[in-house]
Amino acid sequence: MSRQEKQIRTHAKLAGDIQSWMIMLPGLLLMTFFVWEPLFESIRMSLYKTRNVELVRFIGLDNFISVTGKDDFLQALQNTFSYTFWSLLIGFALPVLLAMLIGETTRGKGFFRTAVYLPNMLPGLAVIILWSAFFSGERSGVMNILLGKLGVLPQSYLTRAELVIPIIIVIATWKGAGATALIYMAGMSSISPELYEAAAIDGASVWRRILHILLPAIRKLAGTLLILQIISVFQIMYEPMVLTKGGPDNASLSLMQLMWQYAFGGAMNYGKASAVAVIVTLILLVMTAVYSYFNRKESDWD
Amino acid sequence: MSRMFKMVSLLLALCMLCGIPFVSAGAEEVIDADLTCTITLGNWPPDTAPQAEKDLFENYKAIMAKQYPNVTLVPDYYSYTLSNYVPMAKGGTAPSIFQPPFTDPQLLISQHLVGDVTDALEQFGVLDQFSPSYVEMLADENGRIYGLPRDGYVLGMHINIELFREAGLVDSDGLPIYPKTLQELAEYGQIIREKTGKAGLVFPASEAYGGWLFTNIAWNFGCVGENALEYQDEDGRWVCNFTSPECIAAMEYMRDLRWKYDILNADATTTDWAGAHSLLGTGEAAMNFAADDSVDQPTANKGLPVEDFALIPFPAGDAGRYALAGGTCYMFSPDITADQATALMAYLKILGKLPFLDDSIIAGMRADYAAKRDRGAPVIPAISAWNDAEYNAAKQAIVDEFSNVDMRLYADFFDSISEGTITLKSEEPVFAQQLYRELTAVVQRVITKEGADVEKALRKAEESFQEYLDDEINDY
Repeated sequence: MSRQEKQIRTHAKLAGDIQSWMIMLPGLLLMTFFVWEPLFESIRMSLYKTRNVELVRFIGLDNFISVTGKDDFLQALQNTFSYTFWSLLIGFALPVLLAMLIGETTRGKGFFRTAVYLPNMLPGLAVIILWSAFFSGERSGVMNILLGKLGVLPQSYLTRAELVIPIIIVIATWKGAGATALIYMAGMSSISPELYEAAAIDGASVWRRILHILLPAIRKLAGTLLILQIISVFQIMYEPMVLTKGGPDNASLSLMQLMWQYAFGGAMNYGKASAVAVIVTLILLVMTAVYSYFNRKESDWD
Repeated sequence: MSRMFKMVSLLLALCMLCGIPFVSAGAEEVIDADLTCTITLGNWPPDTAPQAEKDLFENYKAIMAKQYPNVTLVPDYYSYTLSNYVPMAKGGTAPSIFQPPFTDPQLLISQHLVGDVTDALEQFGVLDQFSPSYVEMLADENGRIYGLPRDGYVLGMHINIELFREAGLVDSDGLPIYPKTLQELAEYGQIIREKTGKAGLVFPASEAYGGWLFTNIAWNFGCVGENALEYQDEDGRWVCNFTSPECIAAMEYMRDLRWKYDILNADATTTDWAGAHSLLGTGEAAMNFAADDSVDQPTANKGLPVEDFALIPFPAGDAGRYALAGGTCYMFSPDITADQATALMAYLKILGKLPFLDDSIIAGMRADYAAKRDRGAPVIPAISAWNDAEYNAAKQAIVDEFSNVDMRLYADFFDSISEGTITLKSEEPVFAQQLYRELTAVVQRVITKEGADVEKALRKAEESFQEYLDDEINDY
């Protein structure tokens, strides 16, 4: 290749690159302004003593030491893992089940698709208020009215430490499971019908078809949705904030809610709030890295 | 609808039809044509407010335009919260005037997030007429003033008379036999629970509310003076004191309300201020610690007829009878100029928030009370934040004109204040919101866990709040 040809190719490549960069530029600028800059600013703020949003002086890791040394942080950390556990227990398999059931439905499939997605279209706060009336401990609470018909005395639900997190997860699952089910349905629709036909000819039961065809086909999708669910649940905030205000006695306080309390709950300590935010980010980074590691390893085996 | 109200309404309607603002003769005069500035009004009613309220503010604006022709008023409805105000103040976008509750001024002042109006108040000659307790709430350590009281309140107790009647707690005149002490509160609440199955007392113990109400109970158990929940030692350091025998006794009392007398509402830990009013108004609870400024909540807003509603003084404890005095105030953006401060005081004078009287202010008061009566809210005297006898007497005369309640259901509350049989006390002096949150957690613990160790829980809260005080003030 002559020198001239090389120059022409380089210029063409550069011109192509510039075009690509120009296309990406608005997105990059927006990302920089709305995502990266606040992210780095938050990390910087966590290392400073603050007065409202002003940085007063550099204090190293003092905010982290102060925040992690408090009972409410340990409680919030434990609660957040508890949210994740209950979310996986209650909310991970349900969308798969819904997707399978709707997939098997021959009539009214469109109706069921819409029906399961409907709760997702309701505003989050409206959902919480709706369920708070359901789980109200007063005689007028819907659950107590229903139990009253069976002769059970009125019960308290949202003031019982052992119940609040599962209840909040039930509500979040009720709202979000339909949307996840639709993603699974999309994944399931890509499975070749011939596989099912072949299995049916070989006399495979429904359970075996699910076990050997359906589940392997959606495994990677489920893995991705799993990590997304963990990330999402780890950031749970408005549900406990509205339903229980973090109570009783911090039993439903999440890490994100603790961060909000430091910043806006009267303390106005943005440094400590940023420290909590950074800790949450680090935990999620570690969890995502672990998932990616195993995912890659699994791909290598494949 | 009274004849007088009909006439006022007709006059207002005629003025609007003719396209002229309703201004009194005195309001037409130009007071200062040289004052030139723009102020943004965060206390402007929202678009969703009743038309009468919006008309009222348009009228204020028209009067201001006559009296100060070169001052531009920019309506800028703003619903204050601490979290949304801070970035606005730092970014220079806060409205010139806004309305925070009395829990926040000291925090905002200490963080330099509000503007100084001392000189403007001096100019209007009202600096000396503030009730001293309000001056204390709205000034810094140098006596500079950063806010004005919008309305004051005193914490007492709202009563659902219907439930008292069902429980047999009424006298021969049908008036409620109400608790005068905290011990009676527990006992009467128990009677109500047994006779009606409803909660004797609704106690909103979520977020900061539980701690907020608990402080008032603690004062009546003796957490004042040297046993105060927070105080400054001889070195000037702020000290938290939640583990005094008085505070422990007060928290034990809270536990008894739940486990011994069982008078609290079922979902106390998730109930907030609005929820508490709702439970009282809908007949799910008989008593609610609440103030004179929220009597419209269980009545007009939740449907409790005014004849079934009473307001009584805060019950006394063994160590005294204290009631929280607080309210909402006006504060100003940190970057206001001297001219803007003057214009803001002029605007507040027109709103009737300074102790001045003229026809337009009296008309405004009449319209306000008439609207309350029409909504089914009790029309009762307001507790004035100004030590101005003429101003206070004029307001009382208008209340009498529009009154829709049997004042015997309110007499003890107001008499206890005017006769000094109850001691008014402002909120804990520093970082009250944080203090309330710490105490709310303890309240939640003792009312949800029967065997909770009260002293241990209070000690933990004390350590946590002390660390906060050290961090934010002592070692700042």
